[in-house]
Amino acid sequence: MASITIDGIVKQFSGQTVLQNLSLHVPDGAFYTLLGPSGCGKTTLLRCIAGFYEPDGGRLLFDKDDVTRVSTHHRDIGMVFQDYALFPDKSAFDNVAYGLRARKVAKPEIARRVGEALEKVGLAALADRYPAQMSGGQRQRVALARALVIRPRVLLMDEPLSNLDAKMRLQMRDVILDLVREAGITTVFVTHDQEEALAMSDRIAIMDRGSIAQLGTPEDLYGSPVNAYVADFIGSANVIPVTIARTEVGVAASDITRIRYQLAGQALSGVQGSPQLGPNGALIARPEDLTLLAPAPQVPNALAGWVLRRQYLGFKTAYRVQLQNGPEIRVELRSGNTVAAFHAGDSVQVLLPADSRVVSA
Amino acid sequence: MKINWWPWGLLTLISLTLLSFFVLYPLAVLFGNSVLDDGGGYSLAAFTTLLHDSQYVQAFKNTLILGFTVTTCTVLVGVPFAYMVARYEFPLKTLVAVLPIMTIVIPEIIVGQSWLLLLGNNGLLTNFFADMGVELPSFYGWTGMVFSMTLVYYTYIYLGVLAALRGFDGQLEEAGLSLGTSPFVTKMRVLVPVMLPAVLVNALVVFTLVVGNFALSMLLGSRVPLLSVMTYNTFVSEMGGSPALQSAMSVVSIAIVAIVLFFQKRVVERKIYTMTQGRAPAPVQVRSGAALLFTIVVGLVILASMLPLVIVFIGAFTETSGPVMRWGSWSLGSLQRALQSAPEPIINSIKFSSIATLTGVAFALLVSYLTIKKRNVFTQTLDYIVVLPLTISGTVLGIALVQTFNTGWLILAGTSGIMVLAYTVRRLPFAVRNASSTLFNIPDSIEEASISLGVSPLMTFFKVILPAMKASLISAAILMWVTTISELSASMVVYSGGLETMPITIFRQVDGGRLGLASAYGAALVSVILLPIVVAIKVFRINLFSSK
Repeated sequence: MASITIDGIVKQFSGQTVLQNLSLHVPDGAFYTLLGPSGCGKTTLLRCIAGFYEPDGGRLLFDKDDVTRVSTHHRDIGMVFQDYALFPDKSAFDNVAYGLRARKVAKPEIARRVGEALEKVGLAALADRYPAQMSGGQRQRVALARALVIRPRVLLMDEPLSNLDAKMRLQMRDVILDLVREAGITTVFVTHDQEEALAMSDRIAIMDRGSIAQLGTPEDLYGSPVNAYVADFIGSANVIPVTIARTEVGVAASDITRIRYQLAGQALSGVQGSPQLGPNGALIARPEDLTLLAPAPQVPNALAGWVLRRQYLGFKTAYRVQLQNGPEIRVELRSGNTVAAFHAGDSVQVLLPADSRVVSA
Repeated sequence: MKINWWPWGLLTLISLTLLSFFVLYPLAVLFGNSVLDDGGGYSLAAFTTLLHDSQYVQAFKNTLILGFTVTTCTVLVGVPFAYMVARYEFPLKTLVAVLPIMTIVIPEIIVGQSWLLLLGNNGLLTNFFADMGVELPSFYGWTGMVFSMTLVYYTYIYLGVLAALRGFDGQLEEAGLSLGTSPFVTKMRVLVPVMLPAVLVNALVVFTLVVGNFALSMLLGSRVPLLSVMTYNTFVSEMGGSPALQSAMSVVSIAIVAIVLFFQKRVVERKIYTMTQGRAPAPVQVRSGAALLFTIVVGLVILASMLPLVIVFIGAFTETSGPVMRWGSWSLGSLQRALQSAPEPIINSIKFSSIATLTGVAFALLVSYLTIKKRNVFTQTLDYIVVLPLTISGTVLGIALVQTFNTGWLILAGTSGIMVLAYTVRRLPFAVRNASSTLFNIPDSIEEASISLGVSPLMTFFKVILPAMKASLISAAILMWVTTISELSASMVVYSGGLETMPITIFRQVDGGRLGLASAYGAALVSVILLPIVVAIKVFRINLFSSK
């Protein structure tokens, strides 16, 4: 086990910068997730940690050891691939034994450790099966056992669940977490699935065009996104351009800044950490935080509009609302809420919570 | 881009050097010789001579006419055949499975020889009809060439179109019908446009094969001047003299094929449609009358394709006196002469093919690994050079190799080395294509998995890539072995006394009218070809024809 320190890594492909001076520290034993859309550089970063790509600048440390120039096969990593990457001509047993044999582990010891590893992933009975004879979930378990059996310093996982069906994906989340926690191994997990990231990680690094947009706990990212990109990526959010008019520091005995902003000609208020005055603000309003009210009587911090469409989704009902002099937004109310059900064409007020986040776009 | 010199960079360099020396350099010598005069000065005299040689111009025309005619015939046979097999169920349909095997098991020389046994001047059927008072047209010349070449090459069209038909989404036709076009109009507007490029791609391949064909042209075309035969004859008569004329002729042949293949790659292949989904409609059971017709047609084609196999064995066991075959009376005489008195051709063939196969497959594996898995500017070049032999007919390749390696510090002419070299170079594009398609399907992540588990990149190649390719390497080796062992055109040019192979001997015997002895060698040739195929299919359970 080892901590991972990424220190100002730069990676370019044919002149195109894919990682821009990126730094990240993963403490020993932590489960970190790199999250972002395709092309954000998350897989490139993982492959730099693995050593498949040599960075064009910066350093990479496992604990205090500089491994920047160390070849992959000397790095002592475990890696789990999106397509499992099992050796097609080798049985489950031989696949798992592969890394131990490369390390010249004694035969009885190999048999014991491979047996244990297969036991842990629940495949003891399938040791003689070949990859072609196993289901996707079983293959991924073999791949996991193969990576963990060598007791690597760090475990790297490249979208390991994306080839599985929805049900198996949920099940494998638990299998992975159980094994990783038990081994106490430092893990870097790459995914584009925000729910997966929220459910599994100690910390999530949201990546945007080769940099880390925000690093934090799942709660931080959902509750306090630093910008519109993060807000929109984690959960869904209405991102509405606003003009930030005024900031009031330290209201309500805290370091929270009250933001006065304007939208659709109306003065409103919200909160944020580091304000910047001007027309480039963005209001981040999650659909489930908004409330619909009848058009009268008028209440503070609310915007007028009308319902474009109502979609019943079981436990909740989603509304597309056209704001007067403003954009279209999405509002989600719990079905069976006492709030009167609105229908397409109804005039409404959209109530913005006073703690709505206003950020620089 | 940074290039890792050890070990892949170094291996790339070695491969490039070998390919440059054994493929590019001989071609350069050939092109050079075509524009040099006796004194070593630059001259286009050879090309001018050809242009004014009426026989050569005639040969040029004949070759194109033959190419066009045979290609048309193969399309006419292959396309309906493929359509019947893909879309209908009828009795004996399972027999068509043997067809792809036939194309490689039966060397052209044997096809030509056995049809001569039947329809030649003294052939079984010729005599039979003559006794009944029917004079068959002479098999020598256009009739024989078009007939036998169609039989040899139609499987290229058949297999290509069959694959395309099986990949065609049947729902497209249903969509056409649902939009109100009649079944016939639907086929014309929906199926035909999608199939046309597939037919054309394979037709162009057949065209280049006919243009480069040597065995059948030589055997049957004595009255029709053809480029390949003229090139060979010029080579034989120019021996020792200036090589300008043969070089110029070779350059013309290369140009024809290169133009056709360029057209195929750049124009036709881009028009090939890939079906993203869907499956071919299930074959329909045909009614009794049509079923009978289909069975007869398919049966006849298969019979004609397989007949040489039967004839050559009958011929081998038939008593002969001089050139006359005594049909019906059996004897081991021919076989005895072939196997006991003069077995050198058999031994030579096995020896050359085995060495060529080992070097060829190993080199092809290396080259395709470098071009698929270790891409860089240099491996790209490798990729281009390795397909070059496709544009060169056997005769021309032989001429280039002889011109290059009969002087200088490396003299191969007259040694078995040049035979092995010719075989290896000729089949290299196919072996590389074979290995590449398998490598392409092995995901990079498998190698990365091995490396991440602590095995070095070089050892990963041996521990992961090689085992994963085992089946495809065995089938590549077998294909290379059977195709090189029946190779004639390049062998004829580069061989010298003591290096005769089975196909050469068969050709010599047929040419000398000793069809019985030719059949004996033919039977031996077919046997050594069949043996490894049977072993592969029965013992290793390998599907040889998954990537032909």
